[in-house]
Amino acid sequence: MLSEELIAIVGERHVLSRPAELLAYENDGLPGYHSRPRLAVFPGTRDEVVAVVAALWRAGVPFVPRGAGTGLSGGALAGDVVLLGLQRLRRIVAVDPVARTALVEPGVVNASLTKAATPFGLHYAPDPSSQTACTIGGNVAENAGGPHCLKYGVTLNHVLAATVLLPDGEIVALETPRDGRAGYDLLGAFVGSEGCFGVALDVTVRLTPNPESVVTLLADFRSLDAAAHAVSAIIAEGILPAACEMMDDATIRAVEASIYAAGYPVDAAAVLLVELDGAAAGLADDVAAVDRLCRASGARDVRTASDAAERARLWQGRKKAFGAMGRIAPDLVVQDAVVPRTKLAPILARIAEIGARHRVRVCNVFHAGDGNLHPNIPYDASDADEAARVHAAMREVMELCIAEGGSITGEHGVGRDKLAYMDRLFPAASLDAMCRLRDAFDPRRRANPGKVVPARYCREWAGVTDVEP
Amino acid sequence: MSARDLLPGSELCVHCGFCLQACPTYLALDDENDSPRGRIVLMKAIAEGTLAPGDDDANRHLDQCLGCRACESACPSGVPYGHLLEATRERLATVHPLPVVARLVLVVFASPLLTRAAMLGARVLRATGVATLLARAPGRIGASMAMLASTRRAASRAARAAPAGDGRRGTVATLDGCVMEGLFTAANRATERVLEANDYRHVSAPGQQCCGALHVHAGDAARARTLARANIAAFERSGADLIAVNSAGCGAMLKEYGHLLRDDPQWRDRARAFSARVRDVSELLAAAGPRAAGPLDGAPRVTYDAPCHLLHAQRVADPPLRALRAIRDVDLVPLPDADQCCGSAGLYSLVEPGLSQRVLSPKLAHIAATGAAVVASGNPGCLMHIGAGLIRSGATTVARHPVELLDAAYARTGPSA
Ligand SMILES: Cc1cc2nc3c(=O)[nH]c(=O)nc-3n(C[C@H](O)[C@H](O)[C@H](O)COP(=O)(O)OP(=O)(O)OC[C@H]3O[C@@H](n4cnc5c(N)ncnc54)[C@H](O)[C@@H]3O)c2cc1C
Ligand code: SF4
Ligand code: SF4
Repeated sequence: MLSEELIAIVGERHVLSRPAELLAYENDGLPGYHSRPRLAVFPGTRDEVVAVVAALWRAGVPFVPRGAGTGLSGGALAGDVVLLGLQRLRRIVAVDPVARTALVEPGVVNASLTKAATPFGLHYAPDPSSQTACTIGGNVAENAGGPHCLKYGVTLNHVLAATVLLPDGEIVALETPRDGRAGYDLLGAFVGSEGCFGVALDVTVRLTPNPESVVTLLADFRSLDAAAHAVSAIIAEGILPAACEMMDDATIRAVEASIYAAGYPVDAAAVLLVELDGAAAGLADDVAAVDRLCRASGARDVRTASDAAERARLWQGRKKAFGAMGRIAPDLVVQDAVVPRTKLAPILARIAEIGARHRVRVCNVFHAGDGNLHPNIPYDASDADEAARVHAAMREVMELCIAEGGSITGEHGVGRDKLAYMDRLFPAASLDAMCRLRDAFDPRRRANPGKVVPARYCREWAGVTDVEP
Repeated sequence: MSARDLLPGSELCVHCGFCLQACPTYLALDDENDSPRGRIVLMKAIAEGTLAPGDDDANRHLDQCLGCRACESACPSGVPYGHLLEATRERLATVHPLPVVARLVLVVFASPLLTRAAMLGARVLRATGVATLLARAPGRIGASMAMLASTRRAASRAARAAPAGDGRRGTVATLDGCVMEGLFTAANRATERVLEANDYRHVSAPGQQCCGALHVHAGDAARARTLARANIAAFERSGADLIAVNSAGCGAMLKEYGHLLRDDPQWRDRARAFSARVRDVSELLAAAGPRAAGPLDGAPRVTYDAPCHLLHAQRVADPPLRALRAIRDVDLVPLPDADQCCGSAGLYSLVEPGLSQRVLSPKLAHIAATGAAVVASGNPGCLMHIGAGLIRSGATTVARHPVELLDAAYARTGPSA
């Protein structure tokens, strides 16, 4: 039997098959979905991962890789297939302060990598808000972003190499062609493949020197519109902040009610958190410019964090905001969309209008500098009428973002949640091309089946109905 | 009915995962079933009836929870994890009884007479040197003897006169605490002296009993409520403005009497008023300064380990450090991961000895790395668990209550004016 074979590899404690123990693995960070894996297996070493995947290949059973399960698109849902948990592989194999690289196992938590790099004056730049929980493997699979990716780039820009285990058991070393080497960028294809191309066994990442100086500003606005204009003004001025984040009033109040209260003004309609960093010389000019532009756009007040502790508090509040929304209502729809940042203000106004029309409360907390919106809606799922309104509003918001030339995901991935939007965004030929790219890694669809691209768009898979994981 | 009605507070969990890395058992066992997020899923399923209350898997994972509440300190959504766990344990008490040793302890602590007898027996073992002799014996006996041995204090010099404070900060009654009064008698007297030295007037509160924390954690809320009522009455009779507690676990419990008796119309308001007057001793000291003194003999290096029930349950972080910094020239060094549980967790070290030791071992390694001669912590369970671990690992570091150190400094030079 499969479970016995897996137990022989990883030990009894690390294979879960009884319903009670699979409950906790029925969903990832995305509320609203539940699907029970057939089995969950947790290898403790790289060799065990290889042996487990080989056994699954022989048995013909698909699997879903899982890191910390903080994903927000249902990517790690493993309905009726095997869930392959990688959280035990959390060794930071090497930190090379001279080359400024680190080699890590996939289960290493994002924040622990930065902690390990700190003694060398380095950090791992991609900083998803979930960084104290999510894993590097999950970050690579989702091409995760974060507040500081505005200036420093997303995961893709910080991954130098990965060893990938293909579903048939083959191990391939992927590297970005650089230093004059030629060839296709297969690593680039793997980053963001949402667990559908195989398992990242290890990852070599770039470490970034800590900036010489950092200034964090908190600007407080009487309207969302004014804050959005300030963002456009800052970008238009040619300033590239390290981060530029926006939070609206409902979000501010949820954070201020939590243990991560950061001292945001609870009577503001929106705040902008703008961080400027770099060489000390010249930074003051940018700070003055941001201050001026915010005020010119209607900011009531602009203040700067007086020390590292206050800066950390301001960031903690922002990063825990999604979690704090649990305070507003028992259920939550999380959204992730990208819009051209020049259109931020009109689109936010339209979203507010959609919310009002459907009588739902849209809470905005997002990476304003990249135009990466997170319009989330807290609601009560036990109220069928409210639930229907929430979903109708969300659909309209997404249609709006697509119509305005945006995208249906900035960083959370397509996973299971956004499957239905894929054919609005891409023509059938593009979706088929994606299927064929996938086939190069996983022709039998053994890794994370039923995610990202609806199967009906894959020409060679015509007739296959989409599995509902 | 939804989880909100069946297990109030559980609906706050958005499954974000921020609590995972804060949880000692998740870090030790790498299974979400042993994480706060996973346990909340299990507790909800039990409350909603999708899991049978007798489910062995669910019970094992819930039993493995330390109840340290580090998850609450990480949770942006304010999930009241401690309350969820207590409610679940109460629900499970009949179908999933505790091991015999644990039940025995609960019975003893519920009775002042039995408690005194048990503590007397323990002191005899300690005084005769039996505890020290067996402290490094293998297994549970050795571990218990080491815990006992760790509470030994050099005989104090002649009874000290209470240092004169002017009492202007109001009257304070202290909770004696079963283990504190039984095995940490010196720390209890030290508590009274340092409070007096910082201008509180100490009054006694006869008739007080066990705080009931162990009972609540074990699902025996009924017995805990009986104890709570007795304590509320006793402290009301004392007429004290404030109630000082030097055991973090007991203090957290006393501060929760309002919650414990929320459905008792006769006691609800009294319980709330009582809880509002409860302070950890370090909070009272910090409010008063506290007065400086010292240095201590040989100016030992000191490090501080935060009891979970002080840091996570009561959210008291800085006051104990302020009490320690009042000691002149103190070489106070930070302890890495001081916010992580030591594995003591009330009855946990008794019922889950293996996991308890696994959680303790990184703590001992961190303490050793600081090179401290003293590790300070304001909770008897932690003092004994860490103290025993130190003895059994052959370390010379000792575990002390912060007030013991401050009191020693006052004894040496007298508190500053
Ligand atoms: C509060 C909160 C805030 C967030 N903020 C951000 C943010 O600012 N930016 C952002 O980008 N995301 C954010 N996210 C989403 C999420 O944290 C990221 O997508 C993260 O990268 C997921 O990592 P994980 O380890 O939890 O992966 P999981 O959720 O476990 O898995 C995600 C996907 O990765 C795949 N996968 C996991 N490990 C591997 C591996 N080793 N090899 C191959 N595939 C693998 C899975 O199959 C799945 O498809 C947030 C989530 C939460 C809950
Ligand atoms: S941090 Fe709080 S809301 Fe998030 S998963 Fe843990 S308990 Fe739930
Ligand atoms: S109380 Fe402690 S052991 Fe229990 S779930 Fe919370 S953090 Fe983990």
